[in-house]
Amino acid sequence: MKHTLLEVVVKVFKAVEVSILKEIIAIIRPNKMTRTKEVLDSLGFPSMTANRVMGRGKQKAILNEVTFQIKEPKLLKEEGSMKYIPKRLISLVVPDEDASLVAEAIMKVNHTGQFGDGKIFVCPIEDAIRVRTKETGEEAIL
Amino acid sequence: MKMIRAIIRPEKAEKVVDALDAAGHVALTKMEVIGRGKQKGIQLESIYYDEIPKMMLMLVVEDSEINQIVDLINENAFTGNIGDGKLFVSHVDEAYTVRSRSKGL
Repeated sequence: MKHTLLEVVVKVFKAVEVSILKEIIAIIRPNKMTRTKEVLDSLGFPSMTANRVMGRGKQKAILNEVTFQIKEPKLLKEEGSMKYIPKRLISLVVPDEDASLVAEAIMKVNHTGQFGDGKIFVCPIEDAIRVRTKETGEEAIL
Repeated sequence: MKMIRAIIRPEKAEKVVDALDAAGHVALTKMEVIGRGKQKGIQLESIYYDEIPKMMLMLVVEDSEINQIVDLINENAFTGNIGDGKLFVSHVDEAYTVRSRSKGL
């Protein structure tokens, strides 16, 4: 089978094309989950996967994590009382151009200014497939 | 930046975390997962386990630190038996810290 020059160029271009989808992985405080979901919903990104995880970073105590009073003073200290802090991991796949919008929105909702607000990672995704209809790419996630 | 996802034995997780801690890589996320490898689970006498509990460690690090961390996890999660786990390294475009609203780790 012979390819025209144009076909070859298109093929090469497609192979090196940057991914059109981005996965946003955010690790946030569990008590901010409801608000985050509401905001993402109103922006038009209702679909996500959530996971209860344990994590560690600079935060080493349950600061600003729960609303009730904590009696144990050790748990409220900054330094090294807890090895892992319960966190919520959410992951959603969005089109390339919306990635920064979603990251901004998550940052705005989850910002308290204290250690433990979380991290957001943006990773490239090559393709997505909707199982029900076998659609691929951007149609599969919207 | 690169994301490392390490699926390791649950009983080795603490050893790996402590080793990473000692090397200065404190931040990570761990989760309990269930999976199977290419041996399709495990057969113990008459009982066949299709899905085996594992621990997944997820950490995002700078490109230059990859080799050191991969070696460290490999060393500490090793037993030599089937089911020691797998490490996946994938690319991360951007990282944000929510507290300071800044880019980067």
